[in-house]
Amino acid sequence: MTLLVFGMVLALLLPILVVCRRTDVWHRLAAFASVSTKVAMVMLVVSVVRDDWMVGLVGVIVLSVGNGAVMLLANLLQGVEG
Amino acid sequence: MSRLIVIALRMLIWLLLSADPELLNVAIGLAVSLALPLPRRVRALSPGQFWRALGDSVTALPQAYSQAARLLLHRRLEESVVHDEPARVGGRASSVLVFLDVFRITLTPFTIALGLEGGGRRYRVHELVFEEKER
Amino acid sequence: MSGALLADAPGVLAALAQGASAVLLGLGLLFWFAGSWPLLGRASYLTKLHYLGISDTLGSALMLLGLLLRFQREWPLLVLALLSLVVWNTIFGYVLAACSQPRRRS
Repeated sequence: MTLLVFGMVLALLLPILVVCRRTDVWHRLAAFASVSTKVAMVMLVVSVVRDDWMVGLVGVIVLSVGNGAVMLLANLLQGVEG
Repeated sequence: MSRLIVIALRMLIWLLLSADPELLNVAIGLAVSLALPLPRRVRALSPGQFWRALGDSVTALPQAYSQAARLLLHRRLEESVVHDEPARVGGRASSVLVFLDVFRITLTPFTIALGLEGGGRRYRVHELVFEEKER
Repeated sequence: MSGALLADAPGVLAALAQGASAVLLGLGLLFWFAGSWPLLGRASYLTKLHYLGISDTLGSALMLLGLLLRFQREWPLLVLALLSLVVWNTIFGYVLAACSQPRRRS
């Protein structure tokens, strides 16, 4: 299980690297979306492994609300650009 | 029908979130899901259409996994094309049906829906195509 | 012989579930890496979104299934996470793709 969490954090580093490097705003937004989902998944895994209901609840809320926030940002960006 | 689906969805989320099948808890959830505002105007939706669209979405799941495996095994694709796919129900479809259709198209890794066009008669679909394969 | 097998059935089932969940978790992690890797490349935006759909939706769903097999006590939370992940993330890919297109005047 520790191995799994390590692997997940390692995979999390990939989109973070993209965010730091890329200049195009849409690529950056997609990478941020990936980060949001992955962080929520890491939270869920950690909560389940530690048998902690509340952290898991926070993970589920982050999973849905975080994605919704990025969705709103995408809409806003389209309005600014178009 | 659409309102029933919305209420059922709210109840499902409440029950899973609270994980407590007591009578009082169920009653609270039912009251909340009825008290939250419902969409004012809904278009007609027959149960047959709904179940068919839902079944298609569910069968898209294993299909999505097989496509994902193929996509990951063939590393050299790719040309991407945009084409139109006719919508299942012409004209003014219910929002639930549009939602399920977009879900079905976007879930599979080869295709992403880009939007509705022509007054809801067809979807714009972006698709990945292998180079060395047919087409 | 068969009695002994039957008596041992729960243990066998548990071991089987453990193995299957390990396989699912590993597969999900593999999908994560494979789907995130093209983000670093020079592919077009929509192509990256296709790969992102693989890694974030399908890979995470595999992982949640693996967790579901292993920790049955917290199943409501995991089922809720699975549902919201699959539906929300898919629609999210659609929104990102649709919003990146210049708005067409029809």
